[in-house]
Amino acid sequence: MPLIRNGSEKTARVLRQALPTLASASADERWSAARAARDPSDIPSLAEALVHERDARVREAIFTALARIGASESAKVVLPYLRLNDANTRTGAMDALRAMPDACHPYLPELLADPDSDVRLLACDLVRDAGGAEGPRWLCALIETEPQANVCAAAVEALGEIADTTATPCLSRCAERFPVDPFLGFAIKVVIDRLRHVSPAPRG
Amino acid sequence: MVDSSLLDAEEYRRLCDYLYRHTGMAFTEARRYFVERRVEDRMIATGSSSFASYFARLRTNLQGELESLINASTVNETYFYREDHQFACLTSNLLQERLRMKPRGETMRIWSVPCSTGEEPYSIAIWLLENWAEVDAHDIEIVGSDIDTSVLEAARAGVFGRRALMRLSRALTDKYFTPAGPEHWQIIDELRQSVRFTAANIVERAETRPHGLFDVIFCRNLLIYFDDTSRRVAAENLYESLAPGGYICLGHAESMSRISSLFEVCRFADAIVYRRQPEAPHG
Repeated sequence: MPLIRNGSEKTARVLRQALPTLASASADERWSAARAARDPSDIPSLAEALVHERDARVREAIFTALARIGASESAKVVLPYLRLNDANTRTGAMDALRAMPDACHPYLPELLADPDSDVRLLACDLVRDAGGAEGPRWLCALIETEPQANVCAAAVEALGEIADTTATPCLSRCAERFPVDPFLGFAIKVVIDRLRHVSPAPRG
Repeated sequence: MVDSSLLDAEEYRRLCDYLYRHTGMAFTEARRYFVERRVEDRMIATGSSSFASYFARLRTNLQGELESLINASTVNETYFYREDHQFACLTSNLLQERLRMKPRGETMRIWSVPCSTGEEPYSIAIWLLENWAEVDAHDIEIVGSDIDTSVLEAARAGVFGRRALMRLSRALTDKYFTPAGPEHWQIIDELRQSVRFTAANIVERAETRPHGLFDVIFCRNLLIYFDDTSRRVAAENLYESLAPGGYICLGHAESMSRISSLFEVCRFADAIVYRRQPEAPHG
């Protein structure tokens, strides 16, 4: 029989044990260094490395390391990458923030009020996963005044998932603010219809 | 009683989107009937009178509802030749591809994680012996790993009941098992000694790295139970455990694309699998 038996001398090729650093010239070593980081004291090094890192694989490992550390400082390091034009890095930042909802949570009100509408839009999506009990209230407040219809649409989409019937009045007011936007009006109608069946969550 | 047309198109989309974001499970319209029946079962079990109220329960993960729906949507019971289309892909495509890339004479390494009580790694061994014409020409190492050391003992013992063997033909059962009491059969010694069982938590790099590099990893219906961070860490550990150009097979509803961008999708006739890039970029 060709299958190798237990205890055979043909053993696994053991990976080389290196002492990698985030500043190494080798992407493999930077990857290993990022993967080894798991302490809050590593956050400054990870932040510095993220600024210069061009290898997507290593960047993902840095994002994962920050998410695993999961400190408020981790989220703070990732937040600026929501502003990048590079969609891959922006998506990586979003995924990392979703993976550390508790660390991300305190920054959400600030993100929802950001001058950049693209950031506000992404923040609506983050609220869905990291907003906790305050998420519906934050999004309701946003759609009362938000000037961009596409940001409102993102908030409405999230509210459809996390809100209850108490969100209905502000949804209706949002629809009234954009009377010539048929998509937003339709989206709000769908969400209001859906929320009709969702009882208000217990408060307190 | 729940209506037979349970979810409208928008509700189905939202449910699938939610499951994809939170578990990595990807359900298409073709799986709608299957998903609706599972949701219907869970609605009945939880006393939810509408999908909206059930979805609110799911979203807040009230009393572990997300895990309950995952359990209902996956077959938790393991048995021989489960999802054997991936084994067909292994022998039709993956091993040939790996042979093309490997140094001549190097051992082909296959990892089954989690292996539970051994049905999957033993299935791989039997499948290779039965279906891969080149099986005698290569050294093949099969490793089964699980975080639960109690199931590993059972795996090493290799004794199985009738249900575990339900998909094996009588001929295969006679060939690879011996009777071991009423309604139980034991894997023959030769095969039992051909699978190495180890303890491993795939979220812990220190536990995965010593296993070395594999050509093919079967990691089915495990990542869906992890939170986002653990899933990312596990995906990176699996990446490190794959030889460049190696393949990973997930459960039929799982998608690595949601979890990590480290792997490329490979579509073969029998299965969709994921691959570590043949040449890791060097910076």
